[in-house]
Amino acid sequence: MSRTTVEKPATAEELARRLHDAAEAGESVFPAGGGRAAQMGDPPTRKGVEIRTTALDRVLEHSQADMVVSVEAGITLEALQAELGKSGQFLPLDPHNSPGHTIGGLLATGWTGPLRLRYGSARDFLIGIRVALPDGRLASAGGRVVKNVSGYDLMKLHYGALGTLGVIVAASFKVFPKALHDVTVQSTHDSVDQAWAAAEQALTMPMAPAALELFSTGRVLARFLGSPEATKRTVADLGWTEADGSVWAEHSKAAPPLWARIAAPRHQLRTILHELGADQQWWASPGTGIANWAIAGGADEVRSIRALVAAAGGSLVLMAGPDEFRHDAGAWGTPPATLHLMRRLRYAFDPNQVINPGRFVV
Amino acid sequence: MGLAPEVIRELRRAVGREHVIASANDLRIFERDASIEGAAPDAVVLPATTAEVSSVIKLAAKHRIPVVPRGAGTGLSGGAVTIRGGIALQVTRMRRILEIDPVAQTALVEPGVVNQELSLAAAAHRLFYAPDPSSQKACTIGGNAAENSGGPHCLYYGVTTNHVLGMEVVLADGSVHWVSGDAPDRVGLDLCGVLVGSEGTLCAITKIKVRLLRTPPSVATLLAAFPTIETASQAVSAVIGRGIVPAALEMMDRVTVGAVEAHYQAGYPTDAGAVLLVEVDGIPESTRELMAAIRTVLAENQGYAMREAQSPSERDLLWAGRKGAIGALGRIKPNYYLHDGVVPRSRLPQILSAVGEIGVHYKLPVANVFHAGDGNLHPNILFDLRDAGVLPQVESAGEEMLRAVVELGGALSGEHGIGLEKSAFMPWVFSADDLDAMRRVKGALDGAGIMNPGKIFPDPDRKVPHLAGRTGVAIEAKWW
Repeated sequence: MSRTTVEKPATAEELARRLHDAAEAGESVFPAGGGRAAQMGDPPTRKGVEIRTTALDRVLEHSQADMVVSVEAGITLEALQAELGKSGQFLPLDPHNSPGHTIGGLLATGWTGPLRLRYGSARDFLIGIRVALPDGRLASAGGRVVKNVSGYDLMKLHYGALGTLGVIVAASFKVFPKALHDVTVQSTHDSVDQAWAAAEQALTMPMAPAALELFSTGRVLARFLGSPEATKRTVADLGWTEADGSVWAEHSKAAPPLWARIAAPRHQLRTILHELGADQQWWASPGTGIANWAIAGGADEVRSIRALVAAAGGSLVLMAGPDEFRHDAGAWGTPPATLHLMRRLRYAFDPNQVINPGRFVV
Repeated sequence: MGLAPEVIRELRRAVGREHVIASANDLRIFERDASIEGAAPDAVVLPATTAEVSSVIKLAAKHRIPVVPRGAGTGLSGGAVTIRGGIALQVTRMRRILEIDPVAQTALVEPGVVNQELSLAAAAHRLFYAPDPSSQKACTIGGNAAENSGGPHCLYYGVTTNHVLGMEVVLADGSVHWVSGDAPDRVGLDLCGVLVGSEGTLCAITKIKVRLLRTPPSVATLLAAFPTIETASQAVSAVIGRGIVPAALEMMDRVTVGAVEAHYQAGYPTDAGAVLLVEVDGIPESTRELMAAIRTVLAENQGYAMREAQSPSERDLLWAGRKGAIGALGRIKPNYYLHDGVVPRSRLPQILSAVGEIGVHYKLPVANVFHAGDGNLHPNILFDLRDAGVLPQVESAGEEMLRAVVELGGALSGEHGIGLEKSAFMPWVFSADDLDAMRRVKGALDGAGIMNPGKIFPDPDRKVPHLAGRTGVAIEAKWW
């Protein structure tokens, strides 16, 4: 690894100061939360200091009646869910490679899980953000209300930017009430084709599933959330076997050592995964167009599948793998046509590429 | 001031002679949107294609002329007002629905497509477009995307930004780009996310790809009366606190109900202190169960005279009252100033009582009709422009209401935008560093300041609102 030292600032102000000092000294900074996505992106091009947000782990305010929560970036998803759970609420995030993700890390990487089908990603329920910039300033955007168009939506810019526009130090979310009723069902099939047909059947039920995952083994898992009678009726109509809800927590631990995320227009996902071949392991969320591939093969295989995904208008991004592999295959693929615009934005916030140099596509 | 004749000639060459309006009389038609302040453009240009939009903006960039994109002009914060003159880029000739893909459940539209036209077209495939501003019969998808518009059904379904998959945009140098698209999790920075809601200050939007949703098999709509605004507000919190997020949860106060009932005869109870309009959708079992649960919660919170729509036409009538409420208020006074602010939902009783007191203080009637489930209030200050000296009073009352919103931890706008109207108040919420971060985005994409100048950011050249500087600053920044 190219990191040399690790620091854990105790406050957002201290983090911002440290970032500023690093920028002044020409040092590089690698922000980190729980380290669950440490291998996302290209291997950094410079050495530097790793700044962990894990000491910034407070719930700043949870207004149960307003269903809004504000937290520091270093809090783990599990700690936040425990707090929200006390009042029957939750943040609908169930990322892979759990547990141990921090909220800041999830925002910076944009990692999601099965519940995205119903609730969208954190992009959809992130309502406020506070970020430390390389010049030492702390800048906020958004607010603590569920609907807000005051000023530019900088939440969207920081979401998934891998910290390259600044280090997220705090965030506010719209949270959700736990469903009145929560049922998980599954079906297993001899062939993946049958599994796709089953998935399609579940996705087109009059009451759509909140999550649906299809595995290369032919297994399909679906979760229905809603009022009791409606959920029961839907599950009865579908006729699958009821499964224990704990399968989702188990599933969220999935983290292949060599791992790619394929994101495509959802009706194209099946064709793309078919091209992977029968010997490959993967799981997919056919309703969202996202699949996760446990790569068994070399950089050439990644490149050829990536070309297919790109032709369909999608992307293949490496989520984990050794430095050499990521270096060979490239973490991101062909940069978007608007890269020069993205670079202008990056330059406006981090002109000397202090944060994560070489790691992100921009 | 006006544009030089050669610039007008160049514009005419770019879009066709008949699609440039430059006579003083005709330009006056374009000096307003649906907000309170106006200023005539130097030219109105009506392009028909992306290439024409690009040519117009290139010309504007060359001559350093402001460009203000404009849809139907229904905006409520002055976003389409050409406050620094220049070109009003009227996109209403670009009004084709280019594609509805029932398999992918998406639509590709030009910016001038009217919101409701899209929903009607999608209905043929049993699909719908969720964001439904009350002006949906007139407002355009381009304007909706520029303002990140909301609507009653955004409580459950989310606002415009949650439904835009991608856009074709023209930047301040005339360059054309696609941002985002059909696939999720695109590589790089989310340009689309920051351009939606940027109020025409970063780009002109020339195509929009939106997500369509399946039309729910059943819908239930309930009207309930409450003795007071406070009890109705408590009922709103109680419903959501019970774990139920309805598709829509709207409130109207006594003043509004009186006007609506006189106009629509929708059967609204005029003796009520406030009414709630609640809608749930889904499969029949779901709507039945949720509505039963909602009725119980409303009754526990002093709800009475509950009436559920028994037919689609009855449902339409209940909604006509809500969506046409602003027009109906014309029965009380000929003019209105509609404000937009959001408070944490639990603060609704406090903000509504503050709004009431401000109205009393200024001797101006105030009607409230708003998205209660989101805490998104819309106080309407009613007045008659012919009354001498009334406008400054109206503006002052509006400012005080917004100030009260901010002091309760709220936001300056939930769905109408900052525009011209609220730019001076931005420092109430955001620190100099916060605003600087936003300015960096502006600088990166429109360094010359061609696109919709004078909006969103406080303008030192403009009149100082009477409350600015009197009270504390940067509430949001201090909060963290």
